Amino acid sequence: MTALSTPLLAWARFAWLNTRRNRRRSLVTVAIAALGTAAIGLAGGFALSTYQGLAEASARTTGHLVLARAAQFDGFEDTPLQHGLTDAQALRQRLLADPAVRQVLPRVEFGGLISNGDKSVIMMGVGIEPDAEFAVKGPFLTVEAGRELAGAERGAVMLGAGLARNLKAQPGASLTLLAGTTEGAMNALDVTVVGVVATGVPEIDQRLVYTDIATAQRLLVTDRVSSLGIFLDRMEATLPARERLGASLPDLTLRTWEEQAPFYRSVRALYNRIFGALGLILGVIVVVVVANAMAMSVIERTREIGTLRALGTRPGQLLQTLALEGLLLGAAGGAIGAAITVAVSVALQLFPVMMPPPPGRSIGYPLLITLDAGLMLATLGLVTGLVALASALVARRTVRLPVVAALGHV
Amino acid sequence: MNAQMSLPVIELQGVHKTYRLGAHAVPALRGVDLAVRPGELVALTGPSGSGKSTILNLAGLIDRADAGTVRLRGRAVDAGDEAAATALRRDAIGFIFQGFNLVPVMTVADNVDYPLFLAGVPAAERRARVAAALDAVGLREHAGHRPDALSGGQRQRVAIARALIKRPGLVIADEPTASLDSSTATQMLDLMRELGHRDGAAFLIATHDERLTRRCDRVIALRDGVIATTDTEMPA
Repeated sequence: MTALSTPLLAWARFAWLNTRRNRRRSLVTVAIAALGTAAIGLAGGFALSTYQGLAEASARTTGHLVLARAAQFDGFEDTPLQHGLTDAQALRQRLLADPAVRQVLPRVEFGGLISNGDKSVIMMGVGIEPDAEFAVKGPFLTVEAGRELAGAERGAVMLGAGLARNLKAQPGASLTLLAGTTEGAMNALDVTVVGVVATGVPEIDQRLVYTDIATAQRLLVTDRVSSLGIFLDRMEATLPARERLGASLPDLTLRTWEEQAPFYRSVRALYNRIFGALGLILGVIVVVVVANAMAMSVIERTREIGTLRALGTRPGQLLQTLALEGLLLGAAGGAIGAAITVAVSVALQLFPVMMPPPPGRSIGYPLLITLDAGLMLATLGLVTGLVALASALVARRTVRLPVVAALGHV
Repeated sequence: MNAQMSLPVIELQGVHKTYRLGAHAVPALRGVDLAVRPGELVALTGPSGSGKSTILNLAGLIDRADAGTVRLRGRAVDAGDEAAATALRRDAIGFIFQGFNLVPVMTVADNVDYPLFLAGVPAAERRARVAAALDAVGLREHAGHRPDALSGGQRQRVAIARALIKRPGLVIADEPTASLDSSTATQMLDLMRELGHRDGAAFLIATHDERLTRRCDRVIALRDGVIATTDTEMPA
């Protein structure tokens, strides 16, 4: 006490000295706090990494924003592209004038049949601008055979892997697309397979047909497009851009990638619950173990607490010291736990580990731990606070014991 | 001598205290009257269970009487008001325990400094007073040691320095020589007398030690919760 003139520092020093009384017990408390912090940090970092991966994949699939007529989003139409956009090029130019917009990709979505002459199966067709699409999205498909579509060619298609197997189609094969036109008639178009691709979702790969916009429009006998996918320079620009662009296009509807991504929303909701419950369980374990260790420590010091009370120490001052003791142990454990989280995250970057494909998917994904300063600080604060709280809770009764009873404790 | 100085440091009037052990009531004090004047060394003697420790607890404001009045410097004290009792203990009462009761993680200097720290004495003044107190008990060179590095006599010297450093009006000492050998005990008693007289502190001491009672100003013998005899003798 002699060296320190600030009371809080003096109490903190006393708390620090107390943590060194029973080093093994203090180490156990620090270890529990470290494990709790690391477990929450790793689980939270994994969830964040999953959210980021899914969010980026979703935004890359649809665009950060999707512009269409409101009825188009409902999915009900009497004839194909009934609610399509007729002035796509003009709209595209207006959208590209916004500084946050990197690219605008038109899409024609259509359904129908695809036939190899022997059998016809249902298809889910997408008309795209291949060069722009692949330039913006990067390698978003796994090419299993052949190649990707190229911009200039007409009448070429890429098939989903399951569909190609079903039709026994390889690159170079001729197939026929059948679909209803925007006038309600049926139309057929011969196409050539240039590639077989996998999206990672087997159900989609059994129906998927990619072709260029012009071929799709020729099949449907229209110059409309279903929607425009708007790609922004960064994810964070999504909501401001929606507000800005939406105000200039009041007759049309803009939806964010998140609104178009039910899988992302359901995974996030599921993970939030799983990791929330995990965090709660870990928090309870940390509190129980620390409370037990601190209870032992406080009980052993009951007579000393009585002495300090007799000398004129207020119960609140003792409670503060014991909570500070917990705070120091919790902070030390939290810092170690945060270091473990960082080390594991870096190790997974250096030595990648692949996770098995999730349900409904055919492609695994890398196990990554996102290091988020907010999450780390919140976890550190939570664990430190819990340890301090547990210490204060178990000490509360002892520091308020009658002094005579505390002094007589054996 | 002003009026404040002539008042008893501690005064018990018609004090009763009964402990409850389950369904049994065990009377510890039955109408005790006692006053200790400034600078006086008063020894409480008597067999176990006679009420010595209970008187110390009541006079030290760490327990409350069932009936009767406890006055500190003439003012009635309600030991049930824990905040007020804590403040009075911090400012006006020193304690010397049989088992020394030093804080093991603190150095000798920190143990002695603790009451001044609690009282909010500025750091520079505390340092000077701690150095002087350790000089007085002959432990200056042990200032940075932990209590477990000291002998029993040295530890009790630290406890005496801790009890006296805030210059309390009253020092409560419970069997202060019980853990000490004969020669060390005598040294402790002389030290307590010397420092007590220097600072004007009154001592209320529970003891079985005749060497100690011979050096006290007054010896009060207790039996079954009442004062049996009071002997006044001046130490040599």
